[in-house]
Amino acid sequence: MANGSLVEQLDAAVEAILANRELPLPGVNSRIAPQVRIAAELRDLPRADFKARLKADLERRAAMTAKAPTQFREGFHTITPYLIVNEAAGLIDFVKQAFGAQELFRTTGTAGGIHAEVKIGDSMVMLGGGGAWRGTPTPTGIHLYVEDADAVYERALQAGGVSLYGPVDQPYGDREASVKDLSGNHWYIATHKGASHVPEGLRTVTPFLHPRGAPQLIDFLKQAFGAEEQSRFQSPDGVIHHATVKIGDSMIEMGEAHGPAQPMPTTFYLYVDDVDEWYRRAIEAGATSKGEPTDQPYGDRVGGVADPFENTWYLGTPIKNAST
Amino acid sequence: MTATEADTAERLLIEAAQKDPARFAEIYENNFHRVYAYIARRVGNRDIAEDLTSDVFHKALAGLPRFEWRGVPFGAWLIRVASNAIIDRAKRAAKETDIASVDEPSEPSPQMMEEIDQRAQLFKLVDQLPLDQRRVIVLRFSEEKSIREVALDLRRTEGAVKQLQFRALQNLRAQLRKESGDTNG
Repeated sequence: MANGSLVEQLDAAVEAILANRELPLPGVNSRIAPQVRIAAELRDLPRADFKARLKADLERRAAMTAKAPTQFREGFHTITPYLIVNEAAGLIDFVKQAFGAQELFRTTGTAGGIHAEVKIGDSMVMLGGGGAWRGTPTPTGIHLYVEDADAVYERALQAGGVSLYGPVDQPYGDREASVKDLSGNHWYIATHKGASHVPEGLRTVTPFLHPRGAPQLIDFLKQAFGAEEQSRFQSPDGVIHHATVKIGDSMIEMGEAHGPAQPMPTTFYLYVDDVDEWYRRAIEAGATSKGEPTDQPYGDRVGGVADPFENTWYLGTPIKNAST
Repeated sequence: MTATEADTAERLLIEAAQKDPARFAEIYENNFHRVYAYIARRVGNRDIAEDLTSDVFHKALAGLPRFEWRGVPFGAWLIRVASNAIIDRAKRAAKETDIASVDEPSEPSPQMMEEIDQRAQLFKLVDQLPLDQRRVIVLRFSEEKSIREVALDLRRTEGAVKQLQFRALQNLRAQLRKESGDTNG
């Protein structure tokens, strides 16, 4: 049957086209030559589920972008580092003295520890622990942009900090020093040499992680919290020296653990548009639960997860009818 | 719709999405096939094409509030973002394999863009095929399955699958001719 032979001939041509992209198109009966050219174009046809998956991902992202700026408590952004230490009162004094932090709120939590909120420059930082609280401290690495890194470094030493390194001009255009406070937090005090002392896209305070397996952490953050990779500087062997990811309106920096820069599991408070949805998504991405979302007396609905790198994430959404 | 009307509609959509990011889904639908077709043609690898396409649309969503209309259509801006993403990836790959330099692809020529538009149009037409034909085309070309595997997946005979493939390609050819206004062959 003539049509039958064309069907077979077209399939043989499709088979040849799929087997090798480099070869010229096979010669066929002129009646099916245009279909063969179409078949060649179809080699780049996207996978059926890819378009839908990406769309769903972008919609989630768009929803987060849409609601992020208006929904949080005043002064807060998507990410707030939560420094939990044994000597919370001492740490509050230190950040006031060294960095001019403003104490905006202090209370005693249900576990008997302090919960405080301070503002450093344009950023909020939560501090917790101390008192009757007995738990595992999570001191943190913080990148702190200030107008005069040398002067702030000196003040941090006077306030009881221990120098990790004195002010140096870094090849990436920052003057930078580092101090460890008495609670073990690492402060990378920097002045950016540019139009502003804070690089574009960052704020005064940015958490800085040294995970073991930075690419995997980035993948987790993308999957769990819709993070967007902003930059990645890595060596030929694939080791990430510096990367930035954005979650909502906030950034996290990281570099693979090396030498003295070892992992410091960190606690974050993450404002999201729908805590139940993002909690579920984080668990699906491989996080373990530290507490299902519940309404808290301070006006947020909060759930907690630990990521595979032992960082803790408190996901919070302001309760709509809560008084503020 | 004339070119000017299309420009105005796109401009209004961009402005709407800048106020309400939920409208970005429409921008995505209007541009997905074109961006994907462009990247796929440049990189020739489906996994990499998916990664880069995802990057481009995430960047577009993030950059939307800062996008200013300066006579360049949003679609052209997306292709530029895609072009830069391809270059960045090639540079990164070159560093990882110690290759000294990368040939930077130039801006896509008008002829190339015409081919890309035609290919994007073809991909859209696949979505409009009758279900049986569409499934054969997707399994055969996107999933690169053999006739035997497609037959097993769809519980049809191999002969029936080849017939569906034949009819689908015929259909696509007819639709393409219709859309281009070509009636000669």
